[in-house]
Amino acid sequence: MKTQMLFENGSHAWIMFGRDDEKTEKIIDTNQYMVVTSKNALLMDPGGIELFSAMLSAVIKQVPADKITHLFASHQDPDIISSLGLWDQALPNATLHSPWIWEGFIRHFGMENITYAPIPDEGRLLKIDNVNLEFIPAHYLHSSGNFNVYDGEAKILMSGDIGAALEAVDAPIYVEDFDEHIDKMKMFHQRWMPSNRAKNDWVKRVRKLDIDMMCPQHGRIFKGDNVKRFLDWFEALDVGVATNSG
Amino acid sequence: MTDPNNNYFVSVAEIAAKLDQTTLISQQLSLTASNARAVALRAGEKAAGIRPLTDFIDRLAEITILSSKKINALAVILSKTSVKKVRADNAIERFNAVYKSGKEAKYIDSIDKQHQSCKLEQEQLEATYRRQINQLSIELKVLSSELRNAIILATLSRVEASQSGAQYQDALINVADNVEGAAAKIKEHIKYSQHKVSILEECVTLE
Repeated sequence: MKTQMLFENGSHAWIMFGRDDEKTEKIIDTNQYMVVTSKNALLMDPGGIELFSAMLSAVIKQVPADKITHLFASHQDPDIISSLGLWDQALPNATLHSPWIWEGFIRHFGMENITYAPIPDEGRLLKIDNVNLEFIPAHYLHSSGNFNVYDGEAKILMSGDIGAALEAVDAPIYVEDFDEHIDKMKMFHQRWMPSNRAKNDWVKRVRKLDIDMMCPQHGRIFKGDNVKRFLDWFEALDVGVATNSG
Repeated sequence: MTDPNNNYFVSVAEIAAKLDQTTLISQQLSLTASNARAVALRAGEKAAGIRPLTDFIDRLAEITILSSKKINALAVILSKTSVKKVRADNAIERFNAVYKSGKEAKYIDSIDKQHQSCKLEQEQLEATYRRQINQLSIELKVLSSELRNAIILATLSRVEASQSGAQYQDALINVADNVEGAAAKIKEHIKYSQHKVSILEECVTLE
């Protein structure tokens, strides 16, 4: 499991964990992100059961376990949060922020200790120490209840499955050539994302944000101009293609 | 805990399912007692001996229903405990992997408290599991001994049937067959469950 520092200033840091070369072959590679503030930490989309040990090992190289007081699950998928039953043992006092519509479903992963803080459809703010984070609605992209995390100070958008690419475990961390990268993400977006209307609604909302880095849950991170390139490409893309062919 | 075929919680669930069927068969015994009472009423003096037997069949059905419901409830609780135990074992296993792979981690000590807490929970579940499996074993023995009466009742019903005359003989033989059949099926389930429980007990002892 690789660890990459994405942003650091006096108040907080963004760390990425991913490219786990010890995972079994048929499990999709995932990126996990952590925001570390002065006294707390937020772990985002902490991953599946199979990833738990590698993730906990990586995380405690950065912060003590009891500093992780917040978890975020963008949606209900197993690669996002099926490790919950184990984090529930490791971080019994943590709070999980996740879409309200998935509470009854996500609890099936096992949650006896952690507190569930539902995120309403319109999103909400989360202040950790002096850091302000915003849960941005990204419904139907791909999950019907889905959020991104935006940090206005770091200018980072954790975009979940939006911007995701299916590629090898040794892929670079950042998108280098956007046009070349399209092939790796086109099918993912066309097949997994069901709604052009939802997609365009999200693009409109995200264009208003000041973003230096867009961090998806699979594949590479978009930096600088590649963020705008992605938004333009995504806006023009026809999604929900499985229904078109029917 | 060593588990039979690496899936002891599946074995426990199978016991619970088998004993659930036992409850249904016991309810059929109760129906047999009602039928026997109806035959005895119609036969009058010709089947006077069957009347007290119907009370015994009723009593047997009642005991069997209560006992099998109790055992079934115990098996369901045991099943839940064993699943919790599997999850606790799983968590400990993952923590151990972290200790192995992350021994150089700066904050490795920060997971000690939760690791200890998981181990404590695992020990408590282990003790609960042992206690529950022992209780299940005892209750299965109790039900098994109650069923010995079923054979006696079936034999006595046959004797009464032979003395009741041709008109009621078939109906009373049917009562005897039903008692015997239900008892045999329940015994089969108990035997199956006792076998599974003995394997689980053996695994707990080997631990």
